[in-house]
Amino acid sequence: MSEKKGLYGIWLVVLGIAILIGLYTALKIFIQGHGLFNTNDVIIWSLPLGVYIFLALTSSGLTLLAGVPLVLMVKKYEPFAKRLVFLAIATLLGAFVAIGLELGSVENMFWILFSPNFSSPIWWMGFIYSVELLVLIVKFWRMHKGDWHSGFSNALGVISFLLALIAPLMIGSVFGITESRVTYFGSMMSVYSLVLGLLSGTALFLLYSTIFHRVTGNGAVERQTPLYNEFTVIFAYVAGIAVVLSLVKFAIESASTVPEFLVYHKFEHAFGAWQGFHFEVLLGLFLPFVLLLIPSVRKSMGGKAVTSALILVGTLMMHMEILLAGQSHPVGPKAEQYPAFISYFPSIWEWLVFVFALAVMLLLYTLGERYLKLAEAPQ
Amino acid sequence: MPRYAMVIDLQRCVGCGACSIACRNENNVPEGIYWSNKITETVGTFPNVRYHYIPTLCNHCEYAPCVRGCPTKAMHKLDNGITMHDPKKCIGCKYCEFNCPYGVIYFNWKEPHQFWKNNKVLFKGGTSSPREEVEKVGAEKTPYFNPERGATLPANRPKGVVEKCTFCDHRVSKGLLPTCVEACPANARIFGDIKDPDSDVAKLLGKFRPFRLREQLGTNPHIFYIRDFNPAQYRPTKGGI
Ligand code: SF4
Ligand code: SF4
Repeated sequence: MSEKKGLYGIWLVVLGIAILIGLYTALKIFIQGHGLFNTNDVIIWSLPLGVYIFLALTSSGLTLLAGVPLVLMVKKYEPFAKRLVFLAIATLLGAFVAIGLELGSVENMFWILFSPNFSSPIWWMGFIYSVELLVLIVKFWRMHKGDWHSGFSNALGVISFLLALIAPLMIGSVFGITESRVTYFGSMMSVYSLVLGLLSGTALFLLYSTIFHRVTGNGAVERQTPLYNEFTVIFAYVAGIAVVLSLVKFAIESASTVPEFLVYHKFEHAFGAWQGFHFEVLLGLFLPFVLLLIPSVRKSMGGKAVTSALILVGTLMMHMEILLAGQSHPVGPKAEQYPAFISYFPSIWEWLVFVFALAVMLLLYTLGERYLKLAEAPQ
Repeated sequence: MPRYAMVIDLQRCVGCGACSIACRNENNVPEGIYWSNKITETVGTFPNVRYHYIPTLCNHCEYAPCVRGCPTKAMHKLDNGITMHDPKKCIGCKYCEFNCPYGVIYFNWKEPHQFWKNNKVLFKGGTSSPREEVEKVGAEKTPYFNPERGATLPANRPKGVVEKCTFCDHRVSKGLLPTCVEACPANARIFGDIKDPDSDVAKLLGKFRPFRLREQLGTNPHIFYIRDFNPAQYRPTKGGI
């Protein structure tokens, strides 16, 4: 018991240090600007934005999963609902840390409220995620107070579910309506974002549950094994859809002669693609999908942990791959200043933004588990 | 209300870059950022090669993707067709830069004009440091600071926001031509109201078949290119097998 307490203390200290480093990073970026990033006027959006997309979509995925017991009223999943809602809130807050440090002038943010542009997908994305955060917090508060299914509480569940459906479509359309960057695939990006969100959300929940079980030795996870096995089947289905979408994407990329697509044939950088092979997709999606087709892997805790960990890392890398591939060549006269093709590796400050976002998220998970009775379900 | 546009006559343009230099001075453009720029291209295989030069700037598109996507309307259209930016409303999301199909928007990644903060002198007692020069002139950030730019935009933009060509809106509102047009020694840039049939711009567009950059995107750019600089002659031929 005391050993566990010691480990818990160490874990909190580690998170505390990470958050202090994160605050220092934020201050440094605020004072010195985004010249600290390995970005330029060609690679405009980099790791912090990729992390934001990944975490925001994961949060949407978690909210959609929470909708199974809370909106679709599949009661047997109720023991997961409170934790899912809490994880969605904490993950979204992590996403906000990443995007906050990506923006050049956070102090001008109030113009989003006072000068809204309703034709901007970025505006809608920010608006929807902000409202979703509020709704999720109120929903969580109602659940915490034991009000799971009053009219008000149900309405909150439905609204958060709908917002979680729309938000990934908005993230996709931020890219999809960029007519000048054809590799972003038009409307397919929105569908792709939704599927990847559901995939990483499910992966995060499974990984979290298995780690939680290991660390706390909490028998609840074992008692609920059949339910987790059912979740793993959902996981395998979503992974299957992502595999199909990825194959369609590869087919277009490899058949196209549009110059911007050719980038996929020669792209080499830190996010998984090497020698023309998309290792992040092979190892981060196809391999876990194949593993998930094996019943014994699906049923074992180790199998769940490995496949969900692979998919979590894989989806982050896939987001980065897509993000960078569309920006790897200079547009118009910028080709006069920059090489025809630009590679990217994050600077230490970009990694620290990532660490900060993760630390905030993990600290919230830890405190939530400790104080907020996340395994509670209605009687 | 006029609708401003520019015609660039590629036959007159000699590629001297005077437009870009004038633009830097007029708009206090920081190092690494280009409001006025160019696309150069060498075509053919040696020894049959030819060099092409296309001056570029913001196209002040009618259906501007940068404006459509800006979450705070910091990037917006003026009634006269100019695509304008308001750094006070800009949150530095860089979506406009991401969205512009013409690569004419730049982000201030760090405090602009840092070179001029430098205290180092090349020869002690012989030359002055960049900072001394700025102080001596009594200017803001650079010795060539133009305070008139500040009429409609912060004369020096801060870090964390984007910037781009404004068609010299501060001059145009006073009845002056954009500075790049004034500076062009070859009169290759012709500026005016495209809605006025008597304007030089409207007349030239009726005389030559213009092309615009990435027209197929439907942004309706308002920089029109006419003619081509090519004095080359060749003997009439039908080719051969
Ligand atoms: S050229 Fe680019 S910056 Fe200028 S109006 Fe068009 S889209 Fe906007
Ligand atoms: S960087 Fe500024 S001007 Fe550009 S889209 Fe974002 S808020 Fe608008």
